[in-house]
Amino acid sequence: MNKNAIPQTSMIESILLQLPLRLFLGAVFVFAAYNKIPAIQSFAEAIKGFQVIDSETHPELIIIGAFVIPWFELLAGLMLILGLRARSAALGIGALLGVFIYALLYVIFTDVSADCSCFGDENFICGSSVGWCQVIRNIVFLIPATYLVLRGPGRVSIDQIMSKPDQNPDSYAYHPESLSNPVDADASRA
Amino acid sequence: MRCMHITSGLLSIVGAAFLFGTVHALVIDPIDISKVDLNTDGDVKGGRNNPSDPPVGPVDTTPETDTGSGEPPVDPPVSEPPVEIEVSDAILDAPVPEGTLTLRQAHKLWEDGAYFIDARHEHEFEEGHIQYAAWLASSLFDTDSDRAFSIANSMPPESTVVIYCVGGECDASHNVARRLAQIGFTDLRIMGVGYTDWVAAGFPTEEGSAP
Repeated sequence: MNKNAIPQTSMIESILLQLPLRLFLGAVFVFAAYNKIPAIQSFAEAIKGFQVIDSETHPELIIIGAFVIPWFELLAGLMLILGLRARSAALGIGALLGVFIYALLYVIFTDVSADCSCFGDENFICGSSVGWCQVIRNIVFLIPATYLVLRGPGRVSIDQIMSKPDQNPDSYAYHPESLSNPVDADASRA
Repeated sequence: MRCMHITSGLLSIVGAAFLFGTVHALVIDPIDISKVDLNTDGDVKGGRNNPSDPPVGPVDTTPETDTGSGEPPVDPPVSEPPVEIEVSDAILDAPVPEGTLTLRQAHKLWEDGAYFIDARHEHEFEEGHIQYAAWLASSLFDTDSDRAFSIANSMPPESTVVIYCVGGECDASHNVARRLAQIGFTDLRIMGVGYTDWVAAGFPTEEGSAP
């Protein structure tokens, strides 16, 4: 059994669902990273503003998060777009969305006034201040992430190309034309 | 086995993100999220009432909303004396975080001509801000440093600068204070209350675009 096997889906599902969802979710996270990476100081300040992590006792966690999260978003987003280890990337994005939702709810319920900085200085769908809009947006993003974890990247992906043909269920199908190949027949006679 | 494969892929992405993040941290200036030493005394140094520092300071506490371009308003007609606003002591002296200014202290500094910086978002500033305040968000130092330094350089580094944001536990004013401290400002103060409290007290505000 192929441990690297990806779920086999139809070409229609791959093209109509998996590919657009991968491109959309991947692009969203690449866009988020693109706006954060040049402004790490601002992103660190935004994390501090959420007050989920105590900046007095654990400033190093804020700084590590400020450097790692944007690069994680960029890598996971690119891998999702390419369909390379796409289920892992979707799982990572789903986990990150979970963390973001927790942080947003923390800000909302503790009545802290914080900026989302979800896309750096840019806004996407919601405004800049933390509110329920960002929570709902992230929950909506969780849907395609979960779908991609469960169903895989589809046929139009590097994962599909790299899956070994002898371990692909399709390769076990009966192909009568290969038996009637005259070249093969000549070779066997010789 | 399939779960193991997905998990190992995820760990690879996390590892790569740590690697890139570490390299990134090594090639840029260190980031700073420490607290800034704030001043809370009542003196104003080199404020905007200085003759060489337009715009001129406020003259009364008349509530007004100037819908113009942010220019200082003309003197009110003599026949219409300023309306005194009754603001309760509870609002003026509402408790604020340690080291920050109460509304009363902030208003006194405003009357004395201290510089005021609005650390909220630009669109919020344009919708309304404390009269004579300038807009300067912390992120502007990253996204448009020329503009940020142009605003910062319009104030003498030794002058009294009061920074405010939305209010409550907002962190934006602390972030701007840290940036200004890094470039040499020495008398930075933070309003423990926010713009909404200033408006609620009926103190002067105006609308207008940021410089």
